[in-house]
Amino acid sequence: MRHHIENRIYHVEILPPKQETEKLEADLEAFAVKFNRVMASGYCACITDNAMGNLAFQGSEMIEELSLVPGDDLVMIHLNTFHTKENLDGILDSCARLGIRNLLVISGDGSDRLPRLSPSDVGAQGVEAVTSVELLRYIERAHPGFFNLGVAFNPYEPEEHEAQKMERKMAAGARFIITQPVIGLHPMVEKLLAKYPQVPVIVEAWMSKKLDLLSEAVGYEIPEGTPYDPIENLKSLHAIYPKCGVYLSLLGFKTQYDLVKDCWK
Amino acid sequence: MLANTPALRAEYRNVWVVAEVSGGKVQKVTWELLGAARRLADARSCELWCVALGDGVSKETAAIHGYGADVALIVDDSRLARFDDEAEAAALVRLIGKYRPEILVCAATTRGRALIPRVAVTSNSGLTADCTGLAIDPESGDLLQTRPAFGGNIMATIRSANHRPQMATVRPRVMNALDFDPARKGQSISEGLLEGESGAFKTVLEVFHDEENPVNLSDARFIVAGGRGVKGAEGFKLLRKLADAVGGAVGASRAAVDSGWVPYNHQVGQTGQTVQATVYVACGISGQIQHLVGMQSCDYIVAIDKNPDTPMMRLADAAVVGDLYEIIPAMLAELART
Amino acid sequence: MKIVVCIKQVPATSDAKIDPETKRIVREGIKAVTNPFDAYALEEAVRIKERLGAEVIALTMGPPRADMVLREAIAVGADRGILLSDRAFGGSDTWATSYALSKAVERIGGVDLVLCGKQAIDGDTAQVGPGIAAQLGWAQATYVMAMPQVDEGSFTAKRMHEDGWDLCRIAFPAVVTVVKDLNQPRIPTLKGRLAAQKVEIPTWTAADVGADLSKIGLDGSPTRVVKTEPPPARNKETLRIEGSAADCAAALVRELRQKSLV
Repeated sequence: MRHHIENRIYHVEILPPKQETEKLEADLEAFAVKFNRVMASGYCACITDNAMGNLAFQGSEMIEELSLVPGDDLVMIHLNTFHTKENLDGILDSCARLGIRNLLVISGDGSDRLPRLSPSDVGAQGVEAVTSVELLRYIERAHPGFFNLGVAFNPYEPEEHEAQKMERKMAAGARFIITQPVIGLHPMVEKLLAKYPQVPVIVEAWMSKKLDLLSEAVGYEIPEGTPYDPIENLKSLHAIYPKCGVYLSLLGFKTQYDLVKDCWK
Repeated sequence: MLANTPALRAEYRNVWVVAEVSGGKVQKVTWELLGAARRLADARSCELWCVALGDGVSKETAAIHGYGADVALIVDDSRLARFDDEAEAAALVRLIGKYRPEILVCAATTRGRALIPRVAVTSNSGLTADCTGLAIDPESGDLLQTRPAFGGNIMATIRSANHRPQMATVRPRVMNALDFDPARKGQSISEGLLEGESGAFKTVLEVFHDEENPVNLSDARFIVAGGRGVKGAEGFKLLRKLADAVGGAVGASRAAVDSGWVPYNHQVGQTGQTVQATVYVACGISGQIQHLVGMQSCDYIVAIDKNPDTPMMRLADAAVVGDLYEIIPAMLAELART
Repeated sequence: MKIVVCIKQVPATSDAKIDPETKRIVREGIKAVTNPFDAYALEEAVRIKERLGAEVIALTMGPPRADMVLREAIAVGADRGILLSDRAFGGSDTWATSYALSKAVERIGGVDLVLCGKQAIDGDTAQVGPGIAAQLGWAQATYVMAMPQVDEGSFTAKRMHEDGWDLCRIAFPAVVTVVKDLNQPRIPTLKGRLAAQKVEIPTWTAADVGADLSKIGLDGSPTRVVKTEPPPARNKETLRIEGSAADCAAALVRELRQKSLV
């Protein structure tokens, strides 16, 4: 991950089509176009896993079915705890087959329709529920040393709680960190960087103009129509966190894609 | 039955409540239905009947009268000891044909919701599920049935103008029972079960009654729920004490469940259960959208949090600013002092 | 064995909004999805098929676009889908809907088992499943949380009740409505979905299933919605309680008692 930062490789989020889409072919086509564009730019494509609990197709099956060619070390798959064990093993195997090593391991959002890994599925003892920590340990055991595992950091959670969770994630095998969307300087991110100077940290840049969509993530209400310039925020993140990578969420491929390449100087 | 003329409709008279019976006992929801149906019968100037089918239900006649029914229509038969819905439906359809009630109300329980649709289809009647309001239209005399639709986003009023009886189900704890009046007397009619009505479709092999009330949040009237602010499994023991003191259940936010402080079946919200309790006490739950959608239709929401300005504290009917570790023990002391 | 799974396409209610002027549900832009409870019914049918061998037929009644939910069903293991679609069905209440579906089951012919979700999340009535059973004159089992034994002639069903459960044995043919405890539905793979896209879905009209026009649609429905309105608004006033723990607790308990909430 370190070399992504050194080589100014953006992490570009791509959402696979939702299961409930009414225009699957068009969505698949759009996914392929985005994926290939990210590969052509030499960026890292980050494919979400049932984001927000919405049932979607899996990144690995998308790549396999559409015969997409992952660039060398340029794909990251999100993997959360809302799977059956069979499903989880299938995803890990197919990532291994495709040579995809970067996994962002998160607890994730569930829904009524999504199964959830049970502690016995991942050989975890003494816990009521599987979180990213148990999932990290399981992946390390199932595929020792193969994957480069990342975890999420939420600066909007109570500090102590989040710090303890991060310690557990690190102990379980996390090797890089991606933050929740950060607007400008955030003291919690500063503290994180000070605490883990050796760990590559990637800050998330919110690329939608609709800042209010972040209300849920940050835990307080951001009024609709709050003025926000994603490109300016991106530039300021580079200035504030020169040692961090940047994860672009909700990037507009039509309107913003060509603008971002000059932001990281 | 189709009753699309005033003359046909005039053949139907009286309001029926179909009793909810479990283990031969009439359940409390029946008294609630009688309370609501009493008003309907009075508005229609007719009799209120309570139909009880089961094994040993004749023992319940006095209670049926005491809670407001004029007539107890009893089908007491050992073949109805276990829930044979096809048999009960067949008997009810027959009795409806014989006595011709104008309105029929039943509990929206698993039993009622199995039984009454079968009765409604067979007797060609309109049926409205889960009514929260029942009233008589002063002009037509028809039953106006109000129910929430689309996940409670809308209230729909439904009418069945040309079919009789007009049928509705009502959830437990929606209507209020009349005070029991032991002096109240009424008529009692006994009917039998016909040969071939029972056991024609199913054999109930085994019945299990859950003595220990499981985590039934969707049915709970009082829920004490905890989130991240509870800080650990120990805190949930405190919440459990409060829940026990008020006869309630314990709920949790996803954060608390994910932290392993409480099992998943306690989780309230988008990824857990949707609840409609009378009182929801949110302890240290900030109130993320996913949680709110699961509990915002509770009648009265109490939030307890150190932080006075969370979405939950703003949503709440009563927002208590303080440390739940101090407030809850003080509440327990206060509740004990009656 | 022949199994029909009834599936309803429903609006994702979490998105539902009320138009402040017309007081009606805004349906535009709301996604149509498979009724979540029907997924458990479908999964159970596919599991029975995998164990015993069966033909699984997904059946839906709805607009032409409702073929989507049938394709989803085929993607996870249904053998074929039938779309019951006709303007004449429009406005059907639960009585008319159960009648129309029962006519389709009769037309399919030789059906042993009809599986439905316990209810649809848009109507929440739970009336159509037992309604179909009544229309057909078949046995029914509702709120089924397990089907421990299924063989050629009969099955056992564990029915959920508020105060426990019971287990019954029922001979085919029967209608079973299911709750989510029954199983964990599989999620379609992309490969499965792509294959299902290509499947031909026949559309059956009211005439195709021999439905009596006086029993379907708005006119064939005993019930009618005469008014819709938004639910009573939440009390906007928040009672702030501050001070010492003892004072707070006393004030809160007093409030709850005054409102007869404890």
